[in-house]
Amino acid sequence: MADEILFELLHMEIVGHLQRSSQKDEQDQCIAKLESIGFRIGQSLAERFTRDCSRFKDELDTMKFVCKDFWNTVYKKQIDNLRTNHQGVYVLQDNRFRFLTHISSGKQYMEAAPKYLALPCGMIRGALANLGVNCVVTAEVSTMPACKFQIQIQRG
Amino acid sequence: MTIFDFYIFDRNGTCLCYAEWNRKKQSGISKDEEYKLMYGMLFSIKSFVNRISPTDIKDGFLNFKTSKYMLHFYETPSGLKLIMNTDLGAGSMRDVLHQIYSTIYVEYVVKNPLCELDKPILSELFKSKLDEFIRSLPVFASKVS
Repeated sequence: MADEILFELLHMEIVGHLQRSSQKDEQDQCIAKLESIGFRIGQSLAERFTRDCSRFKDELDTMKFVCKDFWNTVYKKQIDNLRTNHQGVYVLQDNRFRFLTHISSGKQYMEAAPKYLALPCGMIRGALANLGVNCVVTAEVSTMPACKFQIQIQRG
Repeated sequence: MTIFDFYIFDRNGTCLCYAEWNRKKQSGISKDEEYKLMYGMLFSIKSFVNRISPTDIKDGFLNFKTSKYMLHFYETPSGLKLIMNTDLGAGSMRDVLHQIYSTIYVEYVVKNPLCELDKPILSELFKSKLDEFIRSLPVFASKVS
């Protein structure tokens, strides 16, 4: 396995590069581009990681897979909290998200945080899409380095 | 035993960080001038020491001592210079400076995408980790010996 720092540095530079090379009024497109990069990564990762697993029993099982195995392999830790309202909305909480721990522990640099969460959101969406669950993923940060990913399942 | 203050300069002479804990006497000139003076002096001493050295150079300039304080110097291969002023009971701070570089600077400045490498460090996380680390050292105490 390659050193974790390589992924972190590469991600930092992707975000920085997209930001620098876009015009002033295209900032929102950066987030969308990052999310679609993440989507593609997530799709392939899901294929790779579930090579040896059997089919998931239900949606909750798929979510648990994301929380435990997927998070473990990508971020070397598990999700700290998973909540659901059993109606298709899941909230994943990570108290020490890998990409945010080195930036700040509190309120500084809060405005820049969403850019670094766009790619991970896309990864979750891509992994779930490839496992048969279509959804919309958003992220929010109230205090660094903790963050919450909200997953809304699209039905029909 | 105590630590008075701490500077970090990059290879172009920009002061990236300055922190003080128990400094009793200020230098009497503005901070910008003090940084320029410090950097210029270190640059000259380093090259003087290397030139006058009667034997093969191993580490070059390490520290200087007066009857009241000692200035410790550590330069990384990337040209970053870490300087610490301590009192005389402190001993060699080279490992401490190396540890500050590897566990605090690299972790919280190099790995922080919002910190530009050749500008003064604005990250509060870096400052609080540095403060915490210095205060936890056995060399640091609030009474001057």
